[in-house]
Amino acid sequence: MKLLTRRALVVLVLSIIILLGLVIFTIGYIRDASTWVTHASNRHLYTNAQLMETGTIYDRKGEILFQTRDGAKKYHDNKTVRTAVLHTIGDTNDNIATGAQVAFKEKLTGWNIVSGAYRFNQRLSHFKNDLHLTLDADVCMTAYNALKGRKGTVGVYNYKTGEILCMVSSPSFDPENPPDVQADPVKFEGVYINRLLSATYTPGSAFKLVTAAAAIDNLEDIDTRIYHCDGKTNIDGVMVTCPTPHGDVSFEQALAHSCNVAFAEAILSLGASNLQDYSDMAGFNSSLMVDGIRTAAGKVNVSDAAGGDLAWAGIGQYDNTANPLCFMAYVGSIANEGVSVSPGILKGNIFSALIKPVTGKKRILSEETAEKLGNMMRKNVIDVYGEGNYQGLKLCAKSGTAQVGEDKAPHAWFVGYMDREDCPLAFVVVVENGGSGSKVAGPVAEKVLRSAVNSMN
Amino acid sequence: MSNYLESANQILNKIIALYSNIALMMGELKTIEFSDIYLLLIRWVFPVLAVTIFVRCVLPLLRSEPYNTVWGYLQVPDSIKIPLQHWENSIGRSKLSDIVINLPFVSRTHAVLSFSAGTWSVFDLGSKGGVLVNDERIVKSKTVKDGDTISLAGAEFRLLAPEDGPEQQENPAAWFSRFSHHFSSGKTLFMIFLFQFLGGIQIYFSMGQDANPKLLGIFLAFILLEASYFLFMMTYTRKYIELELLAFFLCGINLFVVASAVPDQIAKQLIAIVCGIAVFIALGLLIRDLGRARKLKYVFVFGALVLLVLNLTIGEVRFGAKNWINLGFMSFQPMELIKVAFVMAGTATLDKLLTTRNITAFIGFAGACIGALILMRDLGTAVVFFAAFLVIAFMRSGDLRTIAYACSGAVLGAIAVVSFLPYVASRFEAWGRVWEYANTIGYQQTRTLIAAASGGVLGVGGGNGFLVNIPAAANDLVFGLVCEEWGLIVALITVLIILFFAVLAVSLMRECKSPFYAIAACGAAAIFLVQAALNVFGSVDLLPLTGITLPFVSNGGTSMVTSWALLAFIKAADDRGRPDREGVGD
Ligand SMILES: [Zn+2]
Repeated sequence: MKLLTRRALVVLVLSIIILLGLVIFTIGYIRDASTWVTHASNRHLYTNAQLMETGTIYDRKGEILFQTRDGAKKYHDNKTVRTAVLHTIGDTNDNIATGAQVAFKEKLTGWNIVSGAYRFNQRLSHFKNDLHLTLDADVCMTAYNALKGRKGTVGVYNYKTGEILCMVSSPSFDPENPPDVQADPVKFEGVYINRLLSATYTPGSAFKLVTAAAAIDNLEDIDTRIYHCDGKTNIDGVMVTCPTPHGDVSFEQALAHSCNVAFAEAILSLGASNLQDYSDMAGFNSSLMVDGIRTAAGKVNVSDAAGGDLAWAGIGQYDNTANPLCFMAYVGSIANEGVSVSPGILKGNIFSALIKPVTGKKRILSEETAEKLGNMMRKNVIDVYGEGNYQGLKLCAKSGTAQVGEDKAPHAWFVGYMDREDCPLAFVVVVENGGSGSKVAGPVAEKVLRSAVNSMN
Repeated sequence: MSNYLESANQILNKIIALYSNIALMMGELKTIEFSDIYLLLIRWVFPVLAVTIFVRCVLPLLRSEPYNTVWGYLQVPDSIKIPLQHWENSIGRSKLSDIVINLPFVSRTHAVLSFSAGTWSVFDLGSKGGVLVNDERIVKSKTVKDGDTISLAGAEFRLLAPEDGPEQQENPAAWFSRFSHHFSSGKTLFMIFLFQFLGGIQIYFSMGQDANPKLLGIFLAFILLEASYFLFMMTYTRKYIELELLAFFLCGINLFVVASAVPDQIAKQLIAIVCGIAVFIALGLLIRDLGRARKLKYVFVFGALVLLVLNLTIGEVRFGAKNWINLGFMSFQPMELIKVAFVMAGTATLDKLLTTRNITAFIGFAGACIGALILMRDLGTAVVFFAAFLVIAFMRSGDLRTIAYACSGAVLGAIAVVSFLPYVASRFEAWGRVWEYANTIGYQQTRTLIAAASGGVLGVGGGNGFLVNIPAAANDLVFGLVCEEWGLIVALITVLIILFFAVLAVSLMRECKSPFYAIAACGAAAIFLVQAALNVFGSVDLLPLTGITLPFVSNGGTSMVTSWALLAFIKAADDRGRPDREGVGD
C-alpha cells in the first residue's frame, strides 16, 4: 500500500489548492464585504434601490442634521445649516468621501462584518445606528456666513477633549438642491473636498509657531537677543524681505510683527535638521485620524534646503504645505501645556471617555516651551492684532499671509486659541487668496469664537 | 482637584445618558416578539456549535491508529516474523513494496499475497525467478494454507495464521489517539441535534403567519433517524461513526437550505436523505467482501451504460442541460448515479494494479461518460468526471506523463467547446469581473456575494435571507445562501467538512486493506473536491459559474443519494476499530 499512499498525495494536493481558494475568498470577504453589501440590489439595506431607514445624525445639541424618511434622505431644516455642515455630513450621491454618510456608513446602515445586515429590530436599531456628532450647527452656520462665499475653511475644537465644534469648508452647496457642478467649474472648484480635512495650503507666517518652538528650545540667548531688521537681508544670493523695516526687535517682537529678517537669522542658527525635527513633531509629513477619517498630510522637507531656501522654509514659504486641521491640532497642543489631544467628530460613550485620556493624548512640546509660546501668542493679539477686536476672548493667535504666486492674492491664515478655562477652544481659519491674515481671517475667527462661547455657556 | 471632579461629573453625565437610552429601549421592548429575542441570542450559538462539532469529529478520525490488525505472518526460517497488515500485500525489491526483500534475484514487484474470504493466495506478478508453494512452481496464482512455504526465487518463507484470529499490534504513535480519545461520539451527536433543532425552530419563526408545524416535524423525524442510526451502529459495529456524523451535519444544513428556499420540497428531501443512508449502508455491506465487490463492479458499469443510453434518448432538458429522466412518478439525474459506477469502474485489486498498466477499458468508459455529458450540454459535470478520471488514472498507473497528455488534450478540447458554444463563452466572459455585468451575466454571482456579505460572520438568521429568491439559489448558489442565513463560519465549516472527507481518504491509504478500497476512496474524494470547488468558487466568482451541486448540501434528491453512495467508498477504506469497542464483532 506504500505505492498507493504515495500516489494518493495527488488528492491531498487538490485539497490544499481548494483550501487556498477558501483562504483567498475569506481574505476578499474581509476586505470587500463592506462594498458588496452596499450594492443597490441588496434588499437587506435597500427597497426599490432606496436606502432603508438608516441611523440619524445629530449635532451636539440634538439638532437633526441627517435622517432617512421613507427611503429619502433628509437634511437639516435650515438651508444655511445644511450648506454649512455639508462636508461633515456628506452629500446624497456620496461624492464627499470624508462625509459621515460615507465614513460611518457601516454604523449608519447597521452593517458590520460580524453581524452582517442583521438588525435586531427596526425600532431598536434607531438607537444603535444613530450618530451623535460633537459639531455645533449654530457655530458652523456662523462660520459659513463669515466666510461670505470666499473659498476656505474654518475649524474649531476643544483642545482639552478633542471635540470638534466647527468644521466648515467653502465652496459648499445645499445637499437638498445639488447644483450642476460642471456648469461653473471656477465657483465649485474642489467643492467635494472638505478643506479642513483634505486640503493643504502654504502656511506662510503661521508656520513661525513651529520655528519659534525650535528656537525657544535650542537657542540659548533667545530671551535676550536683539535682531536688527533693515527690511531685507541677502542670504547666499537669496533675498529675504519684510514688508517694512522693523529696526531692532526682540524674538518676541519678531513673532508679533512677523519679521522675516529676524526669523531668517534665527533659522540659520538652528539649522535644517532642527527645523525638520520640530516640523515632524508638530505633525507635518503625517496625517491624523479623525475617528477613522484620514486627513491630508502637510509637508515640510528641508533636508536639501540651505541658506535662503532654508530661511524661507522656516517662515512658512519654500515648498511647505500645511493641512488646516493638523495645524489646528498643533496650536491646540500649545494651548494644552504641550499635550496634543487628537481631534474627533463623534461624541464618545463611556468606554471612549475612559480610554481617550490614555490613547488620544501625546506630548508634543515641553510645558515651559508651550507656556512661553502661548505668552508670545497672547502678546501678538495685545500688541499687534488689537485686544479691542477680540475683547473678552483672551485670544492667543498668529496670523499668516502665505504668498502663492505673483499674480494671486496670498492665502489668509489665522490660527490660535482662547486661554479660557470655560471655553478651551483652538481654531484655524484659512481664506484662500483672501489677502492679509490678521485683517481678513482674523474677523472670521472672531465671529466664530463668539458664537462658540455663546453656545458653550 | 477641580479637574478630577470635572471628569467624574462628565462620566456621571455619560452614565445617566446611557441609562436613559436603556430606559427608552425597554419601552420599545414591549413591541418585540419572542422570535426576535430568540434569534438575537441563538445566532451566536450556531457558529460555536459548528466549529465544535467539526473539531470533535475530525480529531478522532485523523488519529493515527494505535493498533494495526495483523491478518497473518510471513516467517523467515529461524528468524523474524513479518506481520501481514493488509488484505493484499505486495512483495518485492522495490522500496514501495509492502514487504521489501532486498535480494538481487527477487524482482522489483515479485508477488502479491492476498487474503480473501478467510484464505490466502499468492499471485506471481510475472517475476523472473518465479514463485514456488511447497516447492511447486505456480502458474499465476495458488491458494496458500497455514504452514505452507512460499519461495520467491529462492527466498523462503512460511505463512502462519495469527495465533488467535486477526491480531492487533501496538503502534508507536499512540499519544495523539489518547488525546482525541476523550471525545465521546454521543455528545457530538447531541450537539448536532441541538444545531438542527434550534435551526429548525429559527426557520419556523422566520415564516411568521405562514409557519407550518410540519416543518418542525421534519426536523424531529430527521433527528430521530440520526439517533436510531447511531444507536444501531454503536451496538453492532466497532467502526468509527464520526464520518457519518459529519454527513448528518451537512444533511442538516441541506434541510435548512430547502426549508428556507423551497419549503414545499422538504419532505421529499428528507426521503432522499433516508434513501441516501440506505444506499450508504447497502453499498458498504456489498463491497465489504473483496470478491463480491469485484463482481459488483461489472454490474455497476453495465447499469451505468444502460442509464447513459437512456439519458441520451429519453432525457429531459432542464436549465439548459439534457440531464434528467422522468419516470412519471419521480424524476432523477442519471449522471449523478453514474458517478458511483464510474468510481467502481476505476478500481482494481493489487495483482491487477501491479501486472497490467493497461487501463484502456476504464479510459473507454470515461470517454463515453464525458462525451455524453458534452452532448447533454452539462459541461460542469463533464469537468467533475474528467477530474475523477485523472485522479483514478494516476492512482492506477502512477504515470504523470500520461496524465499531462490527458490534461493538455482536455484543455484543447475545452477551448474548442468554449468557442463553439456561446452559452459557455458568456460564463467565461463574466468570470473575474462580475460587478461589471451585475445585472446580466454576472447576476447570480453578484447576488451571491451581496448575500454572503449581508450575512456577516453570524448570519441574518435562517429564513431571513433574500438570496432564496434568485433562481437555483438552493443548488448552484447554496454557499451564498448558507453564508447569508447562517453566517460565514457555518458556510466555511460546511466546505471544510467536504475537504476533510478527501483528506481522510488520503490518510486512510496506509492502513487500507486493498487498493480496491483505496482507489475507490480517492476517486470519491476527487469527485467531492471538484464539485465543492466548482460550486463554491463558481458562485463567488473565483471560477466560472458551472451549475454544479455542492455534495450533501445542495437541494436535490439524486445528488443527495449519490453523495451518500460516494461516502460509502471512503467509509469502506476505513478499517479501524473504535478503541472503546474492542472485542465487539464486525
Ligand atoms: Zn523685519
